[in-house]
Amino acid sequence: MSTETLDGAELLVRSRPPLQRIWRGGLQGSEYAWAVAFTVPYIALFLAFVAYPVAFGAWLGHEPGLYAELAEDPIYQRTIVNTILYVGIGVNLKMFGALLLSGFFMRRGWWVKALLLVFVLPWAMPALPSFISIHWMLNGEWGLLNNFLWTVFGINGPGWLDTSRWLALGAVITSHIWKWMPFWTVILLAGRMAIPQELYEAAEVDGATGMTRFTHVTFPLLANLYLVCTLLSTIFTLGDFNSVYFVSGGGPALSTHVLATLGIRDAFEVARPELGVAAVLTALPLMIPLVLILMRKLRTTEVTL
Amino acid sequence: MSTLGRRSVLRGSAGLAAAGAFASPYIANAQARTVSVLWVQGFVKEEDEAFKNLVAAYEKTSGNRIEFSLIPFGPAMQKIVAGLTSGDTPDIMFHDIADQAVVPQNTWNDKLVDVTDVVETQKVHFHPTALLASSYYNNVTKRRGYTYVPIKCAVLPFHVWNSMVEKAGFKLADAPGTWDAFWDFFKPMQKKLRETQRNVYVHGLQPTTNGPADGNNTFHHFLIANGGNDIVTPDGQGHLDDPKVREAVIKSLGYITTSYKEGYVPPGALSWSDADDNNAFHAKQIVMDLDGTISTEVAMFHDKEKYNDAITLKLPNDNAGQPMRAELGAAGAFIAKSAKNVAAAKDFLKYVIQPDNVNLYLKTGLGRWLPPMPHLVQQDPFWLKEDPHRTAYATEAMIDPTVPNYPCFNPGYAEVNAQQIWGIAVADIVKDGMTVQAAADKALKRIGTILAKYPVARS
Amino acid sequence: MTVAVNDAGPTLATAAVRAPTERGRRARRLRRWKETGALGIAVLVLIWTLVPVYNIFMVSLESKGDVFTETIWPARPSLDSFWIVITQGYWYLEEFWHQFANSFYIGVGTVFFTLVIGSLASFAIGRMRVRYGWLLSNMALLTYVIPASFLAIPFYRIMQIYGLTNNLWSVIAAEVTFATPYAIFIFQQYGVSIPIELDEAARIDGASPFQVYWKIYLPLMAPALVAVGTYALLLAWNEYLYQFLLLSSKHSMSVPVALAQFLNSDEAPWNYMMATAIVYAIPPVAIYYVFRRRMSAGLTMGGVKG
Repeated sequence: MSTETLDGAELLVRSRPPLQRIWRGGLQGSEYAWAVAFTVPYIALFLAFVAYPVAFGAWLGHEPGLYAELAEDPIYQRTIVNTILYVGIGVNLKMFGALLLSGFFMRRGWWVKALLLVFVLPWAMPALPSFISIHWMLNGEWGLLNNFLWTVFGINGPGWLDTSRWLALGAVITSHIWKWMPFWTVILLAGRMAIPQELYEAAEVDGATGMTRFTHVTFPLLANLYLVCTLLSTIFTLGDFNSVYFVSGGGPALSTHVLATLGIRDAFEVARPELGVAAVLTALPLMIPLVLILMRKLRTTEVTL
Repeated sequence: MSTLGRRSVLRGSAGLAAAGAFASPYIANAQARTVSVLWVQGFVKEEDEAFKNLVAAYEKTSGNRIEFSLIPFGPAMQKIVAGLTSGDTPDIMFHDIADQAVVPQNTWNDKLVDVTDVVETQKVHFHPTALLASSYYNNVTKRRGYTYVPIKCAVLPFHVWNSMVEKAGFKLADAPGTWDAFWDFFKPMQKKLRETQRNVYVHGLQPTTNGPADGNNTFHHFLIANGGNDIVTPDGQGHLDDPKVREAVIKSLGYITTSYKEGYVPPGALSWSDADDNNAFHAKQIVMDLDGTISTEVAMFHDKEKYNDAITLKLPNDNAGQPMRAELGAAGAFIAKSAKNVAAAKDFLKYVIQPDNVNLYLKTGLGRWLPPMPHLVQQDPFWLKEDPHRTAYATEAMIDPTVPNYPCFNPGYAEVNAQQIWGIAVADIVKDGMTVQAAADKALKRIGTILAKYPVARS
Repeated sequence: MTVAVNDAGPTLATAAVRAPTERGRRARRLRRWKETGALGIAVLVLIWTLVPVYNIFMVSLESKGDVFTETIWPARPSLDSFWIVITQGYWYLEEFWHQFANSFYIGVGTVFFTLVIGSLASFAIGRMRVRYGWLLSNMALLTYVIPASFLAIPFYRIMQIYGLTNNLWSVIAAEVTFATPYAIFIFQQYGVSIPIELDEAARIDGASPFQVYWKIYLPLMAPALVAVGTYALLLAWNEYLYQFLLLSSKHSMSVPVALAQFLNSDEAPWNYMMATAIVYAIPPVAIYYVFRRRMSAGLTMGGVKG
């Protein structure tokens, strides 16, 4: 980051004299007045709706007693495990799937293009009905999935969300992937298409095909993009409320909550907002390093996603 | 402006005259005021219409203006919680489960206005259990006081499909009169019904951890039936070491989990949310359901065939053969100390709980909720005479013995409910293979920890 | 998002002229296997994507009682639910079009303020090069990476302090807060492609910074504005948590919140709920397909938020 700042400063220094010369119509004071006027809306927005809530949240969750209480709450302990599994498995499966599928969508033919249009549908649709639909689909007694298993194979399917924590968590992760994999696929697809065709041709001359082509050309060029996407996706998945809330609802027996949903639950169902904030704040030790790495990555490398 | 003022004065005096006509001392304000009200949206449209009528009638007689928002159950609770913690609240807040979710803790923290004067106006009429549910312990003043105005009551009756019972070759009239035996009565039906229907279950038991109340209510009825009613006593003390309570917990968990493991309960019931049991019942996937209010039946009001096929039953006796006490939920209103217009807010509440007003309000709402006043139920044929569902429901709530929700006695129990301790105990047994005794002890220990945070002084 | 795959021709042509050697046959067989494999993947992808969507349609076409039966397609499909939604024929839906309009206002408001605030800020940072511009971009980046749900609880109470609960403005403020950082990010990246000399020339002609912004910067930024605008619209349209927390009365609700009402009740006509969801999903899906090419700039890291 420090190098970046230097760059910025250098830029400023370099550009100052001509600018001053050019902006002769107004005084320098008025130029700054304009600049201030232009940035004030955003600064105001940031202070009112980001800085203040963040500070307020920190203040709400400042009492150490809250964290002691959380630590001894068995639901919270499970939640931590769930959050790690949800993010760890969800993000990696999703990104890896997106990487493979973006390769698939590089294929030629109208039907591939048509398929891509269908494939992005989960992303373009509102989250709430989609997840509720999945929740119903997985109902043990009358859900589409079990009805299908029964009608076609004569199998009594399990209650997917009803009894097993791991099945329910798996369902939540799968739903999350369903909703967000299309988006990342499209991003990685754009990344793949940005790779100049000549590189592949050159590689082909050198005898690289199939797998070697991927490991020697595609992946090294995509690696940075892939990393940034994964980091971003990790942070967003950490904050994903909808998948858990609407698919499993934290059930069965409050065993599939993640921090984002537990926070809302503690705040409004248990009726203790400060406890909810504290629960969410405990994600910070994981969040802050991720955010720092990501900011550094985004600033130092030219990742035009 | 002056005309407005004059008109409202006129209205006010009209209201005063009207108040004089009633026996109850409802005092209209000479000066028009605006009261902001947060009220829970009904489960059927008629409930909302009834509230709007009530408001219109009050505005007409008092000259005060009621600025109300009807908010769905879930979000309403959020508004209330957030409002109370940040100190920016409407003048009146109403919630269906305020007696077990917000009023206990907030009275404890001295955040609510004393409404003794409101409750006093109808004190002679209130059902004793409703009255019990309107006073809470304040940890600042170290005493109990009225901070809650009960407006409507509900209990959990049984809802049974008569046609399914008969299809299985049984007669509902033969159902035994004690708790466990009553539940057992349904078990043999399952085999017969399964001959023609694959996913059918006889027990609408809800050991769920979702939704605010269903799971806890179900468990508490078992607890009471097994003699564990004293888990928390009206003096606010928990009795978790009482062997009678422990035994009742073990028996209750035992019955519920055995029925579940034997396959009489839909597996999904572990995570049912509010509507799921009703849906399962309406879809005839369960033969019977123990669920609060008669909304199950009211929802089929326009489908007479189904409406008449469903039977509402009051509770059988407890396992000791004594009349069973039902848990009486008291939905009601309260005023936060941050309210801007306490006097007018109280005035509105006094108006609402006038027997005739509250009766009309709840009747218009199709009788899903009961007035908290037994004399109304007995005098107005609507409640006990005109409809078999309501008869059973009103008898269970207003004539048979009842207890209030435990959080009324100790606010710690509200947290016990919110933490779904009992639902988790059931899950521990059926999901994770814990023994009933171990799960019971774990739950009791956890409840002990929670209640310890709320020491109620013995008076 | 622009999937231009036009170079199929030459490869096929070369393949055709190649002699049918042993190697060629094997290559062809391999290719046929690959084609079959690709088709297999395509079928899997199709099923994977469409099953939940199919379920939404199925429920919406069924009657209330049929939802809970063991069928895998609607026994008696009918469009009644859609008719009920459109005519506001059910109690929960009696203000459906009003709520739809609320969603629309939220969307338009979010787009407008995101574009105004975002473009002003990025003009100042990128074109006028204010001294602490880097700080502003970092602020934006920081906001961008904080998950929205993590701010929800304090945000709710902040809105009470501002006196904005149950008010569309509170939602617009929330959505703008989370859309603007992305806007700034994209505008800055896109702005690099507009030569600074244009600004300088205008300045020499005596234009004020605002005139430069209005007459030069904005018109040239049009594609980025469209991309970000679409993004902001979709964000505001599809977001649930903040709208749920901040809006509560029937009259001020947006459609997602109204949808959640169905989950609140003892009696749940889920066929109506899903029909409502489909009607509500049409605009974003349509907008997405219309602007999808323009969104190639917009479809970058932004769309995930919310």
